[in-house]
Amino acid sequence: MPVLDRVDLELESGEFVAVAGPSGSGKSTLLNLLGLLEPPDSGEVWLGSERVSHLGRRAQARARGASIGYVFQSFLLLSGLTALENVLLAARYVGKDRPEARRDALALLERMEVAHRKDHYPTQLSGGEQQRVAYCRAVLNRPPLVLADEPTGNLDDLHARAILSELRALAAGGNTAVLLVTHRTEGQAGTDRVLYLSGGRLASRPPASVA
Amino acid sequence: MKLRDVLPRGYAFTVIGITVGVAGLVSLGAMAERITRFIEGGDRFVLGQISVAGEGMGMGTGFTAGGLLPASRIAEIAAVPGVSGAQAQVMLPFNTSTSSFLTLTQELIMGMDLSVPMPNRHYRELPVRSGRPLRSGDRRVTVLGVDFAAARHLAAGGTVTLAGQDFSIVGILEKTFTAPDRFALVPIEDARELWLRRDPLLVQAFGAGSLRRGDLNTGAAVGWRDGEDPDALARRIQTTVKGLNVTIPGELSQLLRQSTAFFSALLLGIGALGLLIGGLSLANTVTAAVFERIRDFGIKRALGATDLDLLGEVLGEGLRVSLWGGVSGVALALVLGTAVDARVLRDGQQLFLFSSRLLVFALAFSVALGALAAGYATWRIARLSPAEAIRRGT
Repeated sequence: MPVLDRVDLELESGEFVAVAGPSGSGKSTLLNLLGLLEPPDSGEVWLGSERVSHLGRRAQARARGASIGYVFQSFLLLSGLTALENVLLAARYVGKDRPEARRDALALLERMEVAHRKDHYPTQLSGGEQQRVAYCRAVLNRPPLVLADEPTGNLDDLHARAILSELRALAAGGNTAVLLVTHRTEGQAGTDRVLYLSGGRLASRPPASVA
Repeated sequence: MKLRDVLPRGYAFTVIGITVGVAGLVSLGAMAERITRFIEGGDRFVLGQISVAGEGMGMGTGFTAGGLLPASRIAEIAAVPGVSGAQAQVMLPFNTSTSSFLTLTQELIMGMDLSVPMPNRHYRELPVRSGRPLRSGDRRVTVLGVDFAAARHLAAGGTVTLAGQDFSIVGILEKTFTAPDRFALVPIEDARELWLRRDPLLVQAFGAGSLRRGDLNTGAAVGWRDGEDPDALARRIQTTVKGLNVTIPGELSQLLRQSTAFFSALLLGIGALGLLIGGLSLANTVTAAVFERIRDFGIKRALGATDLDLLGEVLGEGLRVSLWGGVSGVALALVLGTAVDARVLRDGQQLFLFSSRLLVFALAFSVALGALAAGYATWRIARLSPAEAIRRGT
């Protein structure tokens, strides 16, 4: 059974778009397809002028590293690496200059107020701190697209607001498109568009039952 | 340098698993090596000389079971064309109890005629680890085989009682991994004296005047000149000199191999078992360690890692972990093996032989298998999409 059906979505640089929908509606699948984390059965994904969904495995990997940043609900930090090493991991596979990557990573951690925890392992960090580290990792390479899958799902209100605020600011910078999947209504506030996913279809208005 | 630089974090239990596997492999291999060296050593010794005894049975022991070999016969043997030398010998069991008689672990008192150079082509002289070898003219001195000495905590400079007589220890032999390790070498005159003390029948024969001391030989080691075929020469001695039991080196070697066929099969089994147990344990541990990190690989792929990047990382980690496990396993086997041998050596035995070829093989095997297992696991994981890898590992 197809999870997504005739979904057509276009994001512009600087745009902050939220996708809402009930559990099991295919929100995460949509993000995985757009982020090249899963191959589509049919259809295409374009990044700028490149049809990335049809690239080879190696080229797709490079595209993921250089052009797409991910913020996951469960943070997905590597437990064997410190906070700083987790952030620097994003630079490892794109051939970024190491001293420059370290400078940028430290600056990001500083801005997200977790620099003092840079040498701690994920298990030694709170949920809010882990998500801020994960955010730093997602934006280290200044990707044109950031995909955030329920990034506030495991956070308290204070930390949730902080992360959403960062994502808004990131999009407002004009160089990055941010696609946010969230079921929180406060998360949808401040976005440029809210799209609704239901029955595999994407719509700009909520389904009648929700509306 | 931090420990993490040489041992990736989170791999401690993997290293322990590999350590156990490699220790098992090395221990079993060391036992196989010990048996192999014993067989090879024995073969080398018997193929280096023609062993001769007098016609009859029951007088001697060791390699020269047969009747008395009078001095006149030894002189005749030395005169056979092709013979380079014939050294009279007296072999007596150290322990006269029948339970140890003619067993593979029998300890012997070996009297040698030191006026004749040792004719064994593979042992021109038995190598001495400490002290000195026996010399012509020595009396009441002995050179001990290394296991004989170790079992009794004896060293050069000490004394040992052989058949009720005290002997000064002038030297300890190098380890040969075969029979001489359990020998007490003495001048032949001393061995004859011990024999007479032990055997009242011989004293009666002396009393009758039918024997001279020089005739008291349990056998002789015969050497051959360069270019001689030892088997042909042995047959020539048999036909030229009457009243002899001549051992044909080639036939003896074949007999030895037949009689040790069981050990050969056993060591083959031990080796195969070691490879199987150690190899499976190592491969399973490394593969499990990689599969445990399936989520990490999914995340790395999401961050841009290619299959090659991951393979390189996993191989690097796999090699380091395997090397750590391999070195630790070898060290563990060495410690345990040495401890067991120290215990067993009290009985003059050695169970393990940790040869350099075994240790190098064990390390190479563990590293190669570790890399192979890591590569296989990576290949399996690389077939998953990043999202699937993250899902499965969460």
